[in-house]
Amino acid sequence: MLIAEDSILFLKNVPPFQFLSEADMKVVADNMTMEFYPRDAVILKQDDPASDSLRIVKKGGVKVSVRTDSGEDLTIDHRGEGDTFGLVSLMGQDRQKTTVVALEDTICYLLKRDQIKELLESNPSFTEYFLQTHFTTYVDKVYREMHSKSLFYGSSDHLLFTTPVGDIATKGVVTVREDTTIRDAAQEMSKNRISCLIVMDRNELPVGIVTDRDLREKVVARGRNVNDPVEDIMTLPLIRVDVKDYCFDAVLKMIKHNIHHILVIKDGKLKGILSNHDLMLLQGSSPLSFAKDLESQESIDGLVPVSAKINRVVGLLLKDGARASNITKIIAELNDRLVRKVLEFADRKFGKPPVPYCWLSFGSEGRKEQTFKTDQDNAIVYADPVGAAQEDATRKYFAAFALYVRDGLVKCGFPLCPADYMASNPKWCQPLSVWKRHFGGWINNPTPEAVLRSLIFFDFRPLHGDDSLGTGLREYLMKHVKGQNVFLAHMASVTVKNRPPLGFFKTFIVEKGGEHKDELNLKFRGIGPLVDLVRLFSLEAGISETSTLERIEAMKGKHPTIDSVGDELAQAFEFITLLRIHHQVEQIDLGEAPDNFINPSKMSNLEKKILKESFQIISKVQDGIIDLYGPGMVSG
Amino acid sequence: MNAVMELFKRHAAENFCPGPALPIGECRYVVMDTELTGLDVKNDSIVTVGAVAMQGGKIILGETFYEMVCPETALRSESILIHGIMPSEVVGKPSIDDVLDDLLKFCEGAVVVGHFLSLDLSFLNKEMKRLHGGKFRQPVADTLKMHAWMQDQSRGSRGQYDACEENKDLFSLAKKYHIQVSAAHNALMDAFITAQLFQRFLSFLPALGVRTVKDLLRIAKP
Repeated sequence: MLIAEDSILFLKNVPPFQFLSEADMKVVADNMTMEFYPRDAVILKQDDPASDSLRIVKKGGVKVSVRTDSGEDLTIDHRGEGDTFGLVSLMGQDRQKTTVVALEDTICYLLKRDQIKELLESNPSFTEYFLQTHFTTYVDKVYREMHSKSLFYGSSDHLLFTTPVGDIATKGVVTVREDTTIRDAAQEMSKNRISCLIVMDRNELPVGIVTDRDLREKVVARGRNVNDPVEDIMTLPLIRVDVKDYCFDAVLKMIKHNIHHILVIKDGKLKGILSNHDLMLLQGSSPLSFAKDLESQESIDGLVPVSAKINRVVGLLLKDGARASNITKIIAELNDRLVRKVLEFADRKFGKPPVPYCWLSFGSEGRKEQTFKTDQDNAIVYADPVGAAQEDATRKYFAAFALYVRDGLVKCGFPLCPADYMASNPKWCQPLSVWKRHFGGWINNPTPEAVLRSLIFFDFRPLHGDDSLGTGLREYLMKHVKGQNVFLAHMASVTVKNRPPLGFFKTFIVEKGGEHKDELNLKFRGIGPLVDLVRLFSLEAGISETSTLERIEAMKGKHPTIDSVGDELAQAFEFITLLRIHHQVEQIDLGEAPDNFINPSKMSNLEKKILKESFQIISKVQDGIIDLYGPGMVSG
Repeated sequence: MNAVMELFKRHAAENFCPGPALPIGECRYVVMDTELTGLDVKNDSIVTVGAVAMQGGKIILGETFYEMVCPETALRSESILIHGIMPSEVVGKPSIDDVLDDLLKFCEGAVVVGHFLSLDLSFLNKEMKRLHGGKFRQPVADTLKMHAWMQDQSRGSRGQYDACEENKDLFSLAKKYHIQVSAAHNALMDAFITAQLFQRFLSFLPALGVRTVKDLLRIAKP
């Protein structure tokens, strides 16, 4: 019938419905109903019984908000045409978790729970889409809850991730025509006390930008005639953001194009300009400026104060609403730059090495999963020297080199590794052939100590120097571990030994005594087991990535367990990491040293629920490993 | 004939009509439209009937009724221009006699809603009288009347008559209420547009004091 055809046409452009077969789509269309909500109508109300239908916005738009424990209304999202809402509460058959209000006159299609369930059971792509968005919504919401708490602590930081560019951009841009002389343009700039102006063509469209830098580098430094037209020195192309984009988007574009100014466009017209300076004012300090600060340092002593600020970045990013994986990515990037900088200083100080070398990071640094500065975990692999004389020179060179780097890193706030897994330890500063022998030996003769070392060293990642040495070692490892079932079984038995505390939420399995009585170690009991099992899979699957999330991504289609629960594992990892980061930032705010111990009584119900789900998935996967390798696995 | 009598009895029974005290948001509605050979009830007849069901404010997109019949009287050239149904298309279609009972069944338990419904009703009742010797029994409500009543309410105490007469045909009202109208239309699509118009009215009516089926029938009598 014609009415259904109308809705089918609509569904064909709406994920995940567009993945459905023609026949399924017809069934969906026939089972839908349609509702109208006048502007401001409350469609769903938080804490009401959950609605029995998923709603798809056909026309109009809605606002999704949540009321926090402190009584604030937080807008979580705006949903427009083709978006759905109400799924989480619908599937949970719980209370409605959010309030949804029509922002304008809105028409929705409604699809009943049973119908959705049937589709989820029969359509893999449909399921995949919803599982992804479903869990993401959850994590987002928890994050909002945390976010509201940190606001509650009185932070007045503006928000990089929630502030639209339009809010902070300089409005009323000064413009000149392209045929204006350089002198007139410069006078215009000093008259208005501005550092840049926009050049417009005859059609009043922006075509370029002139900044102080252009005047300095292209005019003064080169003795150019100031009567030349300004178009000769303007910078192209103009990079733009929309007024509605978040400041974070602007930062990304500015980093990418290495520029300090970005045009702000509204409805196709020039609306204003955003500068790096505006962003720094917004935040007090930006991750972008840290990276630049680091690059410009010429000594270790110069690095120390910049490095001390990196902890602050975490707090800022968290308040700005970054996801855990983004935070750890930015921290890893900043720490990498810091370590590389120290290594560059060392390169300069000690001169050309007798043989090429590669600096390796491992442990959490190797996995790019650091939150705050953690112990140094590093090593050196160098090319095999030829002859006793070179061997001796090489050993001496790197001994001094590694010691210098170790002490430099300590100055920059990376504590020594208590187990001495550092390049300054001669054991872990070796030629490629010795490293291969180490790895081969651990695999062929998996003593408890060998397996323990594998857990740490196998997450190595080349950070500086000759990468080919690092990748060569990685290739050797992947080739030799493949099919080594005895070794893998040993690793598996260690992996499943540390079970997440599943009884946590009923009986509270927490530390029994000591300083952290009644608290839960998130790193040891949560992140650790998850990292371990993903590492085991990555060795089974023979992939070279070292970070947990990248490993999961890379194993899709290559490892059956990841194919079935990879997304859930990734979400669990992201969630526990977020919980941990948030806990640590809170401690730093209170002037305490960050640790991994969280007190369950301080968690919200939603947080507990998701932490429990995260532990359950880890435990389920561990059970799978036990089944695979047999319950009588080699005893650890 | 027995079957028809049976149907007729059931039709008259109270539980096949919504109770007067039922809130308008909980009532079942059937929104209906017909296309005719012309406007003269004596000399013209029904060509198509379209209807869509609603549960309260929800339009049930899969629950529709659409039949083209071979009209009792000839298709006239003026009306062909309006509905676009050619005489060749209705050849071999069922007669209204075969379709009417299905329509009555579709309307069971519902308030029947239409735009300028009195016209459709006069044609339906002509056939009802011929076939069953009675009238169409479902409670009926007219969106045209609803709209006029709502206009009166908003003019309210000023008591003035708005001199500026607006068009009140279905498509003018659809435009006024931002309802999407596709180029091609037939009885079913027009019923769907009427349903969306009624859907909007339903969201405004409770604030104007119209809460029950009884209230609705009072203000929307065709």
